[in-house]
Amino acid sequence: MNPVPQPIQLEARGIRKEYPGTVALKDVRVRFEGGKVHALIGRNGAGKSTLVRILAGSTQPTAGQVLLDGEPVELRSPGDAFQRGIATVYQELSLVPGLSVAENILLGRMPRSRGPFIDWTSAADQARAVLATMDVEMDVDVPVGRLGFAQQQTVEIAKAMSFRPSVLMLDEPTSGLARHETRSLFRLVGQLAEQGVAILYISHRLQELWEIADRVTVLRDGDHVATVEMAETTAEEIVHYMFGETVQKERPADLLAGREPVLEVRGLSRGEEFQDVDLTLHRGEILGIAGMLGSGRTELLKAIFGALPFDRGEIRLSETTCRRVSPPDMKDLGLGFAPEDRKQEGLVQTQSIRSNLCLASLDRISNRGFLSRRRERRLIREQVDRLHIKAPDVEEAVSSLSGGNQQKVVVGKWLGTSLQVLLLDEPTRGIDLQAKQQIFQLMWDLSRQGIAILFVSSELEELVEVCHRILVMKQGRIRQEIRPENTTADQLFVQCM
Amino acid sequence: MVWARSSILELVLVALCLVLAFQAEGFFTVGNLLNVLRNVSMQGIIAFGMTMVIISGEIDLSVGSAVAFAGCVTAWLAQWLAALGLSMVMALPLAMCLALLLGMSIGALTGLIRVRFAVPSFITTLAWMTVLTGAAQLITGGFPLTPFPEWYNFFGGGYLFGVPFPALVFLLVFLTTHVLMGYTSFGRSVYAVGGNPEAARLSGIRVGRVKVVVMASVAFLAALAGIMQSAQIMSGSATTARGWELNVIASVIIGGTSLMGGEGKIRGTLMGVIFLGILVNGMTLMNINEYWQHVVRGALILAAVLINRINERSRD
Repeated sequence: MNPVPQPIQLEARGIRKEYPGTVALKDVRVRFEGGKVHALIGRNGAGKSTLVRILAGSTQPTAGQVLLDGEPVELRSPGDAFQRGIATVYQELSLVPGLSVAENILLGRMPRSRGPFIDWTSAADQARAVLATMDVEMDVDVPVGRLGFAQQQTVEIAKAMSFRPSVLMLDEPTSGLARHETRSLFRLVGQLAEQGVAILYISHRLQELWEIADRVTVLRDGDHVATVEMAETTAEEIVHYMFGETVQKERPADLLAGREPVLEVRGLSRGEEFQDVDLTLHRGEILGIAGMLGSGRTELLKAIFGALPFDRGEIRLSETTCRRVSPPDMKDLGLGFAPEDRKQEGLVQTQSIRSNLCLASLDRISNRGFLSRRRERRLIREQVDRLHIKAPDVEEAVSSLSGGNQQKVVVGKWLGTSLQVLLLDEPTRGIDLQAKQQIFQLMWDLSRQGIAILFVSSELEELVEVCHRILVMKQGRIRQEIRPENTTADQLFVQCM
Repeated sequence: MVWARSSILELVLVALCLVLAFQAEGFFTVGNLLNVLRNVSMQGIIAFGMTMVIISGEIDLSVGSAVAFAGCVTAWLAQWLAALGLSMVMALPLAMCLALLLGMSIGALTGLIRVRFAVPSFITTLAWMTVLTGAAQLITGGFPLTPFPEWYNFFGGGYLFGVPFPALVFLLVFLTTHVLMGYTSFGRSVYAVGGNPEAARLSGIRVGRVKVVVMASVAFLAALAGIMQSAQIMSGSATTARGWELNVIASVIIGGTSLMGGEGKIRGTLMGVIFLGILVNGMTLMNINEYWQHVVRGALILAAVLINRINERSRD
């Protein structure tokens, strides 16, 4: 690695970023130094990713400057940032699975021997040299697709390091890692810092920051709230910075959960993803699941709906006990599921709003297989009114809707079925405040009708606002049950870590 | 936009007819138009099934071979059953039913392989294409089988109410698939499965069942066309219908169905089939060199797909 005589300084000065309808960053001023690990923390939507994208050159700030060693630099593209020595490793890895470790590290820069022919020996040597600077031993001829996630991530970091960057940004690098893998990643990060690289480390796992970071910067709603030395702070202080003084809203008082159980899950397990999950959902109850990304919450919901097979356990729904389930069967038993990824899993983008709203209730709007236009129209009108879907015409493609309205369609398609229990996975992700409130309103209405809801969200104050009970899920297990009246979002956050 | 797209095709079709009415002698006669209808019916029948398959996100490349295979199987079975002592009046209908059943099972099997083992239908049907051609050669011993009695010709060359019999079947299949895709919950499922299989699955749609049914349908229709084709040429021949799959897919694409799945209309395919039929008929009447006809047809497919793409892009 290049010896760095003076520690490098990367500074963001007065950075502001506006997106249509929202301000992601407001006058952020922060400085990162070589040889140190800087953690960047904040809740979803706090502006972490936007800041990283600006420093990586993949988006431009509306106002403000980036300075490298005191000199203003223009980062118009990721290529610009790379040339200036700023490398980024994103959460989604960008490796080619069929190519070897060496080929991935040197992608597009493979050494040639003569003419167009690749010099494989020197390629392997170069790749090994890069890995050696990181103190990593690895077979460079193995296709990357055969490696585990942790090793793939190491390759990705090696790829970034092969450019000899002076700043390395790691975006949520531990979210896909097991505990011991995290430790070796930390060792690697520590080594790079010792070599003088400025590390910018984005994470939502607060606890691990004491193991790895020297300094932490907290963002909240696009504001730079604080930068403190790790040695001089506590988890409570950081959580307080992250959440600020929040006014906790409460669910309407008339919402009462019934006593009769409608959905019972017993000892449900699936590989490494979740183990021995027990939960009971009562009539009209809204049960929240609080858990970080990777806690197994999405897999659990999918398994209950029958979209993922489970290894052990059973599900009892509408007086039927099931050990093997499939989505059509669960739908017939009164289960509905709005998946987390609405573009890939929730909607048929090529089709109209109307078709998408009918998708789960085709058998209910048809008579012996033939669609009844009258019933279909009635169903559509009901859902559009009930969900306040803002669309000029239901024949328009569903892709023309805003995120919030698309989400309403994903939820709305279940309202025409014989719904007893609705599973909602992150229904409020990426949607505006008004749409959020409308979704909550819908959940409360459904609860009044006796429909039970299992509600997964990373927005913890949402859970506290909306639910009757909250289960804390961590590393594939239900750890705790909490009453929202007895907790606050920041307390809940500490439980989830 | 889908509306605009199909209107473009209809306008071009009308324009083409007008040009041909003046330029090609004998084009605008009842006899010739019925002839066009008869010529397009066999491939057209398959094209409606293919439209469903393509909308569901799959493809069937084996339909041409399946046509030849079904004709040969019918001939061979009729011969065999007759040799067992059955009268032709009994043996032939039985042979036809068995050929239809066999054809449909092959399609269903393709669907099952797709669902169970995630083998793309492109590959499976490519394999079937060779297998069925080879099998047809094997059972015919390389020479056309001709066990058919005179009355069998009705299914390929006969008339009912003054209309060629295959053309009536063509219209019947059109109406059935049109209603199926436009007015039933099954049709909706096909669109959903082709548009986004995961979203369809997570909406409780039986994706596997949909795929098996559409693959079985197109194979059934190919067998049906195969029987009518063998009735028209009065023999079971392994070399008939070679390359039909490309014409069939071409009419579907010209009709505006997206090869990406999830989008398309049976009505569009009807237009595509008739358009190609009239074009070929007109060029033949105008004594245009057959090789030129190939060039024009190919260029047309490309043009249709380009128009589709440009439309899609302007929509985004």
